[in-house]
Amino acid sequence: MAQTQTVVSSHAAPGTAWEPRIVAFLCYWCSYTGADSAGTARMKYPPNVDIIRVMCSGRIDPELVTTAFARGADGVMVLGCHIGDCHYIAGNHKTMARMPLLKRMLVDLGIEPDRFVHEWVSAAEGEKFTRLVCEVTERVRALGPLELPRQMREFGFGRGLGSKAWGE
Amino acid sequence: MTTEDSAVLQSQAAASSARIGVFICHCGGNISDVVNVAEVAKVVGTFPGVAYATTTTFLCSDPGQALIEEKVRELGLDRVVVAACSPTLHQTTFRRTVKRAGLNEYMFEHVNVREQVSWVCEDPRGATDKAIRLIRAAVGRTLHLEPLHKRRIPIHPAALVIGGGVAGLVAARDLAERGMKVVLVENRPFLGGRMAQLHTVFPTGENARELLGRVIEEVVANPLVTVLTNAQVINSEGIVGDFRTHIRIDPRGVNERLAYRENAIAACPEETINEFDFGLSRRKAIFMAYPGCWPPMPAIDWHTCTKCGKCVWAAGGKGIELDAQPREILVHSGVIVLATGYDPYEPLYGEYGYGIFPHILTLQQLVRLLDPQGPTGGQLPLPGNSHPRIAFIHCVGARQIEGVQQRQPDGKMKDYCARTCCTGALHAALAIKEQHPGAHIYDFYQDIRTYGRGHETYYERASEQGVVFIRYDPRHPPRVEKNARGDSPLLVKAADLLTSGLEVEVLADVVVLGTGVVPHDISELIGMYRCAVGSDRFLLEVHPKLRPVELAVSGVFLAGSCQGPMDITEASAAASAAASKAAALISQGQVEMDPFIARVNTELCTGCETCLTVCPYDAISRDAALKVAVISEALCTGCGTCSAACPSDAIQQDGFTDRQILSEVEMLLASVGQA
Amino acid sequence: MTMAARPESGNGKLKIGVYWAASCGGCDISLLEIGPHLLELIEAAEIVLWPCAADFKYADVVSYPDGFIDVCFVNGSVRTSEQEELVRLLRRKAKTLVAYGACACAGGIPALANLNQPEEIFDASYRDNPSLDNAAGVVPQPVTETEFGELEIPRFYPRVLRLADVVEVDYQLPGCPPQADRVWEAITALVSGTLPARNNAVLVGCTDKAVCDDCPLEKRKTRIGSFKRPHLAVPEPGWCLLEQGYVCMGPATRGGCGALCLKANLPCRGCYGASGAVEDQGAAMIGAVGSLLDATTEERARELVAQIVDPVGSFYRFTLASSHLRGRH
Repeated sequence: MAQTQTVVSSHAAPGTAWEPRIVAFLCYWCSYTGADSAGTARMKYPPNVDIIRVMCSGRIDPELVTTAFARGADGVMVLGCHIGDCHYIAGNHKTMARMPLLKRMLVDLGIEPDRFVHEWVSAAEGEKFTRLVCEVTERVRALGPLELPRQMREFGFGRGLGSKAWGE
Repeated sequence: MTTEDSAVLQSQAAASSARIGVFICHCGGNISDVVNVAEVAKVVGTFPGVAYATTTTFLCSDPGQALIEEKVRELGLDRVVVAACSPTLHQTTFRRTVKRAGLNEYMFEHVNVREQVSWVCEDPRGATDKAIRLIRAAVGRTLHLEPLHKRRIPIHPAALVIGGGVAGLVAARDLAERGMKVVLVENRPFLGGRMAQLHTVFPTGENARELLGRVIEEVVANPLVTVLTNAQVINSEGIVGDFRTHIRIDPRGVNERLAYRENAIAACPEETINEFDFGLSRRKAIFMAYPGCWPPMPAIDWHTCTKCGKCVWAAGGKGIELDAQPREILVHSGVIVLATGYDPYEPLYGEYGYGIFPHILTLQQLVRLLDPQGPTGGQLPLPGNSHPRIAFIHCVGARQIEGVQQRQPDGKMKDYCARTCCTGALHAALAIKEQHPGAHIYDFYQDIRTYGRGHETYYERASEQGVVFIRYDPRHPPRVEKNARGDSPLLVKAADLLTSGLEVEVLADVVVLGTGVVPHDISELIGMYRCAVGSDRFLLEVHPKLRPVELAVSGVFLAGSCQGPMDITEASAAASAAASKAAALISQGQVEMDPFIARVNTELCTGCETCLTVCPYDAISRDAALKVAVISEALCTGCGTCSAACPSDAIQQDGFTDRQILSEVEMLLASVGQA
Repeated sequence: MTMAARPESGNGKLKIGVYWAASCGGCDISLLEIGPHLLELIEAAEIVLWPCAADFKYADVVSYPDGFIDVCFVNGSVRTSEQEELVRLLRRKAKTLVAYGACACAGGIPALANLNQPEEIFDASYRDNPSLDNAAGVVPQPVTETEFGELEIPRFYPRVLRLADVVEVDYQLPGCPPQADRVWEAITALVSGTLPARNNAVLVGCTDKAVCDDCPLEKRKTRIGSFKRPHLAVPEPGWCLLEQGYVCMGPATRGGCGALCLKANLPCRGCYGASGAVEDQGAAMIGAVGSLLDATTEERARELVAQIVDPVGSFYRFTLASSHLRGRH
């Protein structure tokens, strides 16, 4: 799926247009290789999804997902092998069980459901990976920036060392 | 770079005095045509912690690797980041380069800026920024890398081969020829497997059982091989280098002192379905599987035997032990080769009329009937006229489509191609033509996949001899029906794609279903060895191209059709490959494994046992005295599930610690929220 | 038990302050739980601020020299400008500042208000409530003109903050409230000088392990087949409550309380905050609970998860302000 709009960098200086920043945790054996196969086939997708690889999706601690949002991700994806295909037999079973609970909690905490995507991608599914990246990027774009770090700062979290005291 | 970026990075670098070298590959234009690598190097070079950043045309080449080695030594770099193609290609190459340069090979990080950046992003600005972000993330991770060392485990110098068909036999022979001790375990009373059920093999036309006999002879004659028939694997424990397998040997009931073999068999009053002939014949409770079988003495099928003793009397009282007991042995081996084979697909009741109409055979049954040593001496159940009509339907129980075929009892569709049945069907068709030159043979197919060396000839000859090929749409498979006057001949109908969908009707005296294959049920073995299994239920290799006969579980190898549909040529090749890998492992005397194991911080561990329950390999146990979790270094495969599950963050996975991954995430997002 | 007095505090007695921010008062009461040790404390120390129990004014505190208070225990979270200003003032006036109790350490129960926007809270408190008689819809204003002049009241902050979000904290004493024996141990350690005065949010009055370490119940390594609520079912004695399906925060909660609730047959609610090296207690608990579900299909996993009535309330009951997401976005 070709993207024809001009992508403006969000790594660039302030004042430039916002671009969704999505962090994707991929397991090395299936989904990462699936992403590679999209590349080998020269499929095209927007550059908003940055991949972090782990050996198994079972390694994905919910704390990694909450940290990603807290540090500024507008969206987070967790991709693993299909059930029954896990290189480590049942690592993805744990992912499959943790993710619905995490998703429910994120939604209760006001993170729109489209921002957190959990899917299974096999080594041969370059097309599925491409489609997912395009869809998730557009959905997150439609939702707008999450900007948790800025919100946290505005609310006063982490101000730490004091400045003026009362009466001065 | 914003002030927040450098603040975050500086605090990171302050925590360590790392000297990182970043090497960015042009990949001959594959990367540099889209990503502005010069700009990337410039920006990356300003990241605190990075002592050196450069680009080069082909990093994986000799000069490229030499550059890394040179700079590491010259600049005292203590860790390396490479931005190039996918790590699946050259991660090992660069780890070795780093090792040659004098560093620990795991003080290295590989960033994918080709398959996941330059090849998928058309916009140069977007691609360049993405490359910068990914390298920055990698720098963050690299700052927290620790030297790691591969694990080494000694190997017991023996191999256990499970399965006595052609693959198991070839593997056992090859291992023994290399001087390895082998124990070959076959759960039936006779060796030979599915190959023994064939008459001639393609493409040479040689006699299957004769070929099999040669391999069997080589195996049983070799003093290094112990062959156990009627043997079941009960339990297996241990890890690569040190497998302990409990085997139960069921009694044969017959020993070599039996002289009047035929009399004993003839005297037996009990009969049952002969599985060797796929139900087309019956056999006695005391039986020989096939002419020339090994061991060359009968066995007793205890499910059917009533211990009436008539065989004992007919044999003159010697050689038959009706009261023989099973015995258990323990086999100690360094490696395991799985050669458990396949079963033919059994059509569902009613599938193409199977089980409802007479004269519907599976391909495997047809082969038995064509065998001169088969149940009918090679005669097919055809009417006596000179133009019998036979219809073949390809892809039964294979290439199934959701919504077209019924789901199997296990809920899955058999959507894979069974590979060998096209050639097999044409081979059988030609055999029929030889016996009945006037036969009308109709071949209903989706595609003709006579892919192997010498296989296309069967298609050509079949065409020349007048076999009619009718190509059907997979979504509209042929229908098998009664004709107006009854069950025989049957009507086979389909729309012929080669004539733009013309409806074709054929009368068939016999319908042969080109049945696919399924893996032989080894669910207990799969549980014992924790094998990964594909969605088609065949055993899953580590990598189909680069490691085709290895399982993720170290020390267990795959030989033959337990891994997927294949013919004897391919099974033999796979078996030799597995034997070769297994032998190589044993000869090393020890095995090296990836170091990404999980470790418990006993200060933080509360003994809550969450990790024990989640480990897929049962690699974690509890130290009752210290009340903490203990992870077996040898059993841990490095999935990291325990690390994620630990509610105290007391388990960290070497090479994938929370600190390393979090640093990667933080660096990736370092400039967000500035707008 | 002797306590070394600090000579620089004038009359030789230790100066101790206690302040309550957004607090229920339970932590102040918990100081009384140290029982007879209270007399030892009073003998060796001088209270220089304790709004709950003594009549000191803010002006007194302002007049103290910087560092005058040797140890100041601040309980409660920060929700208003008054609380923030006092906390900053106390940071300057105290050598050692201790975040006392779950609210000060991690936000506590008040932090659950971070699930609502301030407007929603004001609506519920001042406008949309059957028991209110406020037709004019009057809500508190930071500044109001009256006939006597301008009346200023503290500003209501948009989110509940922890102490460490506002000032540098030396020690954290977790618990809701902290258990009496641990409090006394912490006080003696602090006042006897065995712990350095300025530190970095070091945890005291607790252990390095989780509640499971003190819990008498037995694990059977089973998976969770269904979730139960404590008031609707009777637990089987002797068996881990989490494995039985009660949401027990034990594995993800710092130890030190002696597993008091478990010994009374109730599941742990997590009031001592995150255990081990964990930052986000709720996410760590999800990782553990998720891994223990008895589910091999996604539908079954979702079905089980739906049985947990209030995930945020259960997993972040005391620590929402210290979680990664801090509250509802």
